[in-house]
Amino acid sequence: MTRFLSVITCNNALNMFVFIGGLILNDIVDMSHSQYQRGVKMIKNALFFLLLGVGVFFSSISQADPWKEMPSEQLEKTLSDKFHGGEYSSKGADSCLACHKKSDAVMALFDGVHGDMNNPQSPMAGLQCEACHGPMGKHNRGGKEPMISFGADSSLDAASQNSVCLGCHQSTELMSWHGSAHNLDEVACASCHKVHAAKDPAFDKLAINASCTACHTKEGADLHKRSSHPFKWDQMTCIDCHNPHGAPGEAALKQFSVNDTCFECHSEKRGPFLWEHAPVTENCANCHNPHGGVNESLTKARVPQLCQQCHADDGHGSRVDAGQSAFNAGKSCLNCHSQVHGSNHPAGKMLAR
Amino acid sequence: MRFPLNLITLALAGASGTLLAADFSVGAANTAKVPVDGYQCKSCISSDGLRGNVGVSLGVNDLDDIHAGNALGTDRDGVIGGINADVQGQGNNGYRLKAEAHRLGMANGSGSLGLGKDGRYHLNLDYRAITTYDQGDVQTALWHNDGTLVPSAEPRFLDLNLERHKASLGFELKDALFDTYVKYSREQKTGHQSASLMSPRPVNFALPVDASTDGLKAGVALKGEQWLLDVGYQGSLYRNDIQSLDLLTPQLYGVYSAAPDNEAHRLSLAGQLREDSTVMTGRVAAGRMLQDDALVPMFGNPLQNWDGQVDTLDANLAIHSTLGSRLRLGAKVDYSDRDNQSSVWDFNQGLSGLSFDALSGGFEQNLPLDIERTGVKLDASYRLGSGYRLDGGYERKDTSRSYGEREDTHDDRAWLGVKLAPLSSLSARLELGVGSRGGSDYEANGLTSSEDNTLLRKYHLADRERQDAKLALNWTATDWLSVDVNGYFARDDYDETQIGLNLSRDSGVDVNLNLHPTDSLTAYLFAGQQWIRTDMTAGRNGAVAWQADIADDFINLGGGASFSGLLDGRLTLGADYLFANSRSDGYRSLELPQPDGDYYSYQHSAGIYADYALSAQMALKLAYRYERYYDTDDARVSINGVPGLITLGESDHNYNAHQIMLTFSYLLN
Repeated sequence: MTRFLSVITCNNALNMFVFIGGLILNDIVDMSHSQYQRGVKMIKNALFFLLLGVGVFFSSISQADPWKEMPSEQLEKTLSDKFHGGEYSSKGADSCLACHKKSDAVMALFDGVHGDMNNPQSPMAGLQCEACHGPMGKHNRGGKEPMISFGADSSLDAASQNSVCLGCHQSTELMSWHGSAHNLDEVACASCHKVHAAKDPAFDKLAINASCTACHTKEGADLHKRSSHPFKWDQMTCIDCHNPHGAPGEAALKQFSVNDTCFECHSEKRGPFLWEHAPVTENCANCHNPHGGVNESLTKARVPQLCQQCHADDGHGSRVDAGQSAFNAGKSCLNCHSQVHGSNHPAGKMLAR
Repeated sequence: MRFPLNLITLALAGASGTLLAADFSVGAANTAKVPVDGYQCKSCISSDGLRGNVGVSLGVNDLDDIHAGNALGTDRDGVIGGINADVQGQGNNGYRLKAEAHRLGMANGSGSLGLGKDGRYHLNLDYRAITTYDQGDVQTALWHNDGTLVPSAEPRFLDLNLERHKASLGFELKDALFDTYVKYSREQKTGHQSASLMSPRPVNFALPVDASTDGLKAGVALKGEQWLLDVGYQGSLYRNDIQSLDLLTPQLYGVYSAAPDNEAHRLSLAGQLREDSTVMTGRVAAGRMLQDDALVPMFGNPLQNWDGQVDTLDANLAIHSTLGSRLRLGAKVDYSDRDNQSSVWDFNQGLSGLSFDALSGGFEQNLPLDIERTGVKLDASYRLGSGYRLDGGYERKDTSRSYGEREDTHDDRAWLGVKLAPLSSLSARLELGVGSRGGSDYEANGLTSSEDNTLLRKYHLADRERQDAKLALNWTATDWLSVDVNGYFARDDYDETQIGLNLSRDSGVDVNLNLHPTDSLTAYLFAGQQWIRTDMTAGRNGAVAWQADIADDFINLGGGASFSGLLDGRLTLGADYLFANSRSDGYRSLELPQPDGDYYSYQHSAGIYADYALSAQMALKLAYRYERYYDTDDARVSINGVPGLITLGESDHNYNAHQIMLTFSYLLN
């Protein structure tokens, strides 16, 4: 009935498409009015059944948990009561697979680490399916009693979902999870990780950047600017620098600071240099945007403007030349001050040697 | 009007119920009634053996600019090839193997091999090649020969690219009580990069790169039920095989100093304590950076080697707690100290021709920079109801530095966010922030800034008022269609700056559509635009001489689809397209009013592919990629195009590149 009503409400839009289609036909073919009317009716009937078919088809592919519409609070209370009640199944995984064995998505568990019964730390070596999905209770009586479920379709809040994962996964890499931006933003582990799979996409180097930029769209766009690190070709990944589970330093960087992060690959800029350039020593991000920029070398402005934003004073830094000159052509300021990241030359105070 | 009502209603309705973060961890489970003896898994599948695929790619590149090699994996014009693999193996006794390769053998490729026993030990070998292609056939008037730059009557043609090969070997040993890990890595960098020197006029030249970095990370983590302690070491050694350069004619020694060999070491201690709903984490690390490379011997240099040494101390302490069912609180303090212990000497600068102080006779002391930072962060999050959340925070950073124009600065920021989900299919998050930077008096005539105009404020030290906002909307229109819209805005007003960076505004919007109408069809579309506006001024004789308005724009569009439902599911067809346009326009007024020269780039990247399953074990993929790239920069001029300057030539990119690749895969399932 709902499907039928939804198709009926589409009728106005349908009429509009038919009208436009009819006008086009009328322009293309010099037909009589009765021919035109018959053509319109034919198109209308064809589109009606097409839309009906599409609607039925899309509705049929939608599968959700029976408890998907249950309010989150009620769901959590039900699950919590079940969890503490501890009514586990009589036969473990076999009780679950009696119904779920036909699901490829469920059976894919056995392709991965979590389905390995030889691993004493695997859930399958313990409470099996119920280690993560909670005690079966009366779920096997028609499948309507809720179980702990994960991912985008789960109505259970992220923190409760994550408590299952964090029950086993405690390590140095996860130490800062509780203070991480992802935790505060209620991101579920299952938003990135997949347990029922041979390979967790979060560990697929070719899928990591797409996974991160699906939410971090601004940074995702930055990667396609005139200059950027080679993320867009997956030669580098976001997790080369960031720990998505949080880190004590800023921006969830794996290293202690922005500069330490840059030095991981740009160790030639670490120094210490005899002559230091103070803003460089303080923070590489004073001049560079590591995700990309519309300027060369990921700088926040093109040279000489970038330099002039600090050095546009009474010296030659305030020059502005008409046309191309040794001041603004080639490498501009870096024609002479080529060692802006620091110089180790005895006469390198001006970062020119 | 509906939102406030909903918020209040939900807040009241939820006040008496449990709401947040039930603990479903296996450790909290009530297992008293688990019928252990009855647990079995006759229906479970053993996945012992190898799964995944191995394959080989063979194709053809058609390109005439090495820059295309960034996108196509190699700058080779003609036949190319690489090895691909994605293999997982599992033994019946818990042993596991993982092998991956992506375009292995090409200039941009990677591979890894992992072996281990679940939960016990793991050995990992990684290799990654990254080649960054900058410009091909640049004209260098100076070429490198065994530490000497030799002028050439006719410029030599070289490619500017940087080849990185990094290999690492790691081993982990685990137990219920501890994890230990050790990882050694070595990266070799070779190629040429753009550089410049004065002899006495500026000459741009291609500087050879030949350097390596060795890294070592090791540590042990001890674990308890509610605590964790990690002791670690991290070290890095950089070695540069290109020493300081001499110039043959005119004969100048040590005209260009190379990046010095250096090393860094750090010991860290990190820990975590968990107690009910409170988690406390802390970390303290002591580090040292060293450099004692040989200095260029010259008049006025009192040293053969300078003993550069910087000691660092970093510490963080964070506590996060969930109070009741709705309120989450967090607090964090940070401390960082960079103590530059390097020795201080007088060095003659007069010979550089850039700095001569009659008072000092051209001698200047190096200035070891010390930086000390402290920071505090507070945040709170209150859950109003399912899908409704209010959060906010405050953070402050204090920085003290030596020899700077401003000894102390402090940055404050407060933010407030709200998350709303008025419908199960619609959610929105709005975050607003305000920030301010202040500090001690700005000393425009300090030790390092004798030339500074008193009106000048360097932007990383200047007073600044900041406002920022972010809005994110997610609409799941149907099970198969979702729309994400993200908008952002930030405004930095350097209100005390008369000369320097005055104002910058950054705003943009991104729209993403994801479609998954059937199991066999997925598609996506995205569009985004960003606008960055910058106002700056320069001064002379105590007054503003000119001002510049800089407009940076970026447009990003694209889409793609994949359909796997053809020929009984044996054939998958797909296509992807991306357009990106970066542009920076500057205009200066007051003095010589004029726009800056052209500075923009655009690219079209398109690809189509067909993936056909020949049999249950074999698959064939045919892919075509097209790259159209153009960039221009007014600063790029011909090698002698500007009097008094020798450049690397006018080398804008403007190319079409094509790649056809056939990949044969053998499936191990």
